[in-house]
Amino acid sequence: MHETSIVNSIMRTLKMEFEQEKLNTMKAIHLKVGILSNIEPRLLHNAYSAYHITNPGYHHVSLHVESVDIKIQCEVCNHITDVKNYRFLCENCDRPSKNLIQGEEMLIHKVEFED
Amino acid sequence: MSVDKSTKAPRGTVQCENTNINLLKANDFVADIIKKEMAKSNTLLVNITSSAGSGKTTLMQKTAEKLKDKLTIAVMVGDLETERDAERIRETGIQALQIVTGGICHLEAQMIHQVLDQFDLPNIDLLFIENVGNLVCPASFDLGEDYRVTLMATTEGDDKPKKYPRMFLTSDMMLVSKSDLLPYLPFSVEAVTKDAHEVNHELEVIQISSLSEEGIDEWCDWLVEKVKQKQQA
Repeated sequence: MHETSIVNSIMRTLKMEFEQEKLNTMKAIHLKVGILSNIEPRLLHNAYSAYHITNPGYHHVSLHVESVDIKIQCEVCNHITDVKNYRFLCENCDRPSKNLIQGEEMLIHKVEFED
Repeated sequence: MSVDKSTKAPRGTVQCENTNINLLKANDFVADIIKKEMAKSNTLLVNITSSAGSGKTTLMQKTAEKLKDKLTIAVMVGDLETERDAERIRETGIQALQIVTGGICHLEAQMIHQVLDQFDLPNIDLLFIENVGNLVCPASFDLGEDYRVTLMATTEGDDKPKKYPRMFLTSDMMLVSKSDLLPYLPFSVEAVTKDAHEVNHELEVIQISSLSEEGIDEWCDWLVEKVKQKQQA
């Protein structure tokens, strides 16, 4: 259900960003989703397939989903840590940090159009 | 948003637009409208999230009972079906509106915006959104709230913050609910707090029971303080 809403939101967002004429030439949508986004790529692909049943206009547009790991950058020592087991602690100085530089994103990273 | 639009590509090739648009931009656009409306009326908007059955509605009832003489409170409550929760909250004498999502497992900004005109916002100090009981998707949808509060019931087990990290990462307050059951459960408040703080070191924590009233005064004081701050802003 969650993935269905997200697919709907992606398509609504694209309609806000691009003219319909341009969307008619769309070939591919590339997403970047962080581990913290609660988006499961396989389920998103299923929801995207389901979307085409009621919206046949975009059935030829492929969807690509790239997962992104979590990284924080310490505000004190600037060290970048790969977050493991959801411990948001700088591995260099052991201070807690919420300064996420990666892993939260839910991005339409790239859109391809037919020339 | 950085837009790096490609120049004209040669014929027969694919043209790429590097967009980096938030894929929930359509939701966030409406969330911003809600924020502006709340700022105009000085209404504090608090989004209450948790698993199903952790005591959100009972807490709404108890909070209404304690604060209704001090603040004008209203609640909008999301569920997949039925109007039971809104009816329970109305029994305390405050306005409560049910949002039936019809199977959708979270509330979206659009759903909130659609019902906002049912409330007399300039005369409401504190508006609660009781979200659908679910620790997963409600974490992703900004509803334009000032604060996000997550209930974590002692009956759920103390391992939830690491299992559902985004919810705890995006929350401002964790209420450890049903604390009256602690003597009967293998639940460690210390362990759940430690895990929650590993995810989000800024998370405030209060241990509460809507039945024994443990922590309820502290919770209500927190709300009154936040309402005051909003009205002075």
